[in-house]
Amino acid sequence: MDILVFVCAAAMILCGALGVVTLRHPVHAALSLVLTLFGVAVLFVAQNAHFLAVAQVIVYAGAIVVLFLFVIMLLGVDRVEDLHAEPFKVQRPLAIVSGVALAGLLIAAVVASQHTNVAARGAGLPGVNPVRNDLHDGNIVALSKDLFSGHVLAFELTSVLLVIAVVATVLLARRSRGIDAAPTDGQAT
Amino acid sequence: MISALVASDFATPHVDYHALAPEIVLGVGICLLIVLDLFLAESRKWLVSTVAGLILLGAVLPVVTLGVIGSDVRSMFDGRYVIDNFSLVLKALFLLSGYVVVLMSSRDTEERTPYQGEYYTLLLTSIMGMVMMASARDLVSVFVALEFLSIPAYMLAAWRKRDSKSNEAGMKYFLLGVFASAVMLYGMSLLYGVTGSTRLVDIGQAVTGTDHLVGVQVLGIVFVIVGFAFKVSAVPFHTWAPDVYQGAPTPITAFLSVASKAAGFVALSLLVFLAFPAAKSVYEPFLWVLAAVTITVGNLLALKQKNIVRMLAYSSVSQGGFILMPLAVAGTGDARTSLRAVVVYLIIYAATNLGAFAVVMAVSRKTHSGEIASYGGLFNYAPGLAAVMTLFLASLAGIPPFGGWYAKFGAFKAVLEARTGAAYTLAVIAAVNTVVSAAYYITLMREMWMKPAPDGDESPVRVPRNLVAALVITGVATLAFGVLPGFSGYGAITGLAGAFGR
Amino acid sequence: MIAVAVTSTWYLVLAAVLFGIGLAGVMIRRNPLIMFMCIELMLNAVNLSFVTLANHLGDIGGQTTVLFVMVVAAAEVVVGLGIIVAILRRRPGATADDLSELKG
Repeated sequence: MDILVFVCAAAMILCGALGVVTLRHPVHAALSLVLTLFGVAVLFVAQNAHFLAVAQVIVYAGAIVVLFLFVIMLLGVDRVEDLHAEPFKVQRPLAIVSGVALAGLLIAAVVASQHTNVAARGAGLPGVNPVRNDLHDGNIVALSKDLFSGHVLAFELTSVLLVIAVVATVLLARRSRGIDAAPTDGQAT
Repeated sequence: MISALVASDFATPHVDYHALAPEIVLGVGICLLIVLDLFLAESRKWLVSTVAGLILLGAVLPVVTLGVIGSDVRSMFDGRYVIDNFSLVLKALFLLSGYVVVLMSSRDTEERTPYQGEYYTLLLTSIMGMVMMASARDLVSVFVALEFLSIPAYMLAAWRKRDSKSNEAGMKYFLLGVFASAVMLYGMSLLYGVTGSTRLVDIGQAVTGTDHLVGVQVLGIVFVIVGFAFKVSAVPFHTWAPDVYQGAPTPITAFLSVASKAAGFVALSLLVFLAFPAAKSVYEPFLWVLAAVTITVGNLLALKQKNIVRMLAYSSVSQGGFILMPLAVAGTGDARTSLRAVVVYLIIYAATNLGAFAVVMAVSRKTHSGEIASYGGLFNYAPGLAAVMTLFLASLAGIPPFGGWYAKFGAFKAVLEARTGAAYTLAVIAAVNTVVSAAYYITLMREMWMKPAPDGDESPVRVPRNLVAALVITGVATLAFGVLPGFSGYGAITGLAGAFGR
Repeated sequence: MIAVAVTSTWYLVLAAVLFGIGLAGVMIRRNPLIMFMCIELMLNAVNLSFVTLANHLGDIGGQTTVLFVMVVAAAEVVVGLGIIVAILRRRPGATADDLSELKG
């Protein structure tokens, strides 16, 4: 059962990721991104991260991708990108080679260390809270305890960051008064 | 039932409000500024910059009282947020350089930049991220602090919407910055996997660079350092810097080249001294190469620049290499000497570079040009500006008795104390580059002192009061740090900066 | 049914592949919106890696980190799309290569 879930989710993730990189139409790329995000959410559930799985679907797949689609539609840039126009001859092979090389390096490092029992080392350190809990919603309790004891300052300050990001983005993205309005100003489309 | 369980074993974290006062003052000040801006009439918007300056000075107060009260380390949240002498010195540096940037901005924004209220709000938010970075002792707080200082900076770089250069600068800075933080986060996840904890001290115990997890450790360390190398614009991760510096509003350029860069170095020192002390075989060669390449390439590119902002951008890339030098020998040499060299260099470099950009702003008010050739005859019509600019350039070049000389002296001393072949080689490379760098600083000096004004226009430059204040602060600081390195109070500050609290 | 246990290594390998695809995508694509989507792929690889390691080590800290990454990513998306809107509104169809006023 585990293996079935993993294989299906992994297929979703990889197909979606390849779609983002290769599809010419920005809307298609955004929809492929949703596929990847859902796959990642499934794997979160498979690994006892229930709250994060929910947040992944609501925040990432819901809010963020919708925002992407909004911008694509708003700007009318939903036209096909010519993938054959090459700025530099070497760039694309170079990109593929470096992507493959990096992934290979990471895989080699991870596989080489798979027989080490890292958990045994981690368990000896202070401040380690168990993830698994018998409570049916133990994940949320454990997460919130960690969040509001060790990371409460970072949590509070993040709220300031979100406020500032919203305020400043509104100013940056809105049509400014007066002369610099784009030629399309006033059009409802 | 669940609430009972939560109540039973959840310990409310201890919060030391005095230690958090700078952050609280800034946080409240930011909200106040947003609201204040809403109710101010267009003609009284100048109040915003005054209030922003006062908020920054208000946040310096608790830093001073914390420093006066005692040298005991205040640690909060399981050692994830620590107020020690190192963090107090750097908090003061960030707040004061922020104040100078506000002084530099006030006249500039009134004339050319839209939305002043939000401009200062973003500036304060970015400074708050830096203040937080100085105290962060945990991967999560380091990451949050980094984004806190970067996200407002992306927007500030793009703030002049009508100017397509500013748009382009913001876009480049944003894409590369986010890319770099993704790489850094991947490295952090590997380090977390090795350790099982996000606290830097725990990572320092587990990451030794020797046992059978060495592959994951090396990749983790390299990825994290690459992420911060983007932030401090070390070669080959510097490509964004000149474009962004040229495209962004000039006060923001000064801010990015000084404060933002300093925050990147603070994070790098935290990692090197707390998280990787046992892995010197991994980080030292990597930082060695970064430092050597950064100093050399930055200098060579600065030599051929015709635009003064781009020249200062490449010169600051090269100066960044000098700050990397003590970090590259932190493990073999004396850790305290290296850390002190980094902090002293950051302080002096901040004063000098902010001053140089203030002069650039003052001159461009008259010439409306960024070309080096437009500085001809500056001595004839603005002898004061020419004199302070000479002071800053001499300090950047490392000519005694100005501040930059003492900073470079500290960096070389730290490197030579390591007593290894690699360290001596690095010192030789840096020494050759110090001589090369003098060439482009002297070119500019010659332009100011010897050449005639390009268009024969020798009417005096009118420098606004705020800019004069900024020039006085940075000029006095640059001079004082060079002339009085033995001055007792100053020695105590650098001594304090030499140690981390746990 | 094949009796193979899904170990943490499988997840970490998947995360590494996802990260590599995202990295290659950033370098291949020229549309700033899609480059940004590729960066989101890289961030998701990071999140997957953190959650896997948290599960493997039995430590909740990794999940807390992912929560912060998500929040900050949301802020980044807002800011990034704001900048992209500001730029593309003035120059429709601009690609990363068209942005070349600054050189040298």
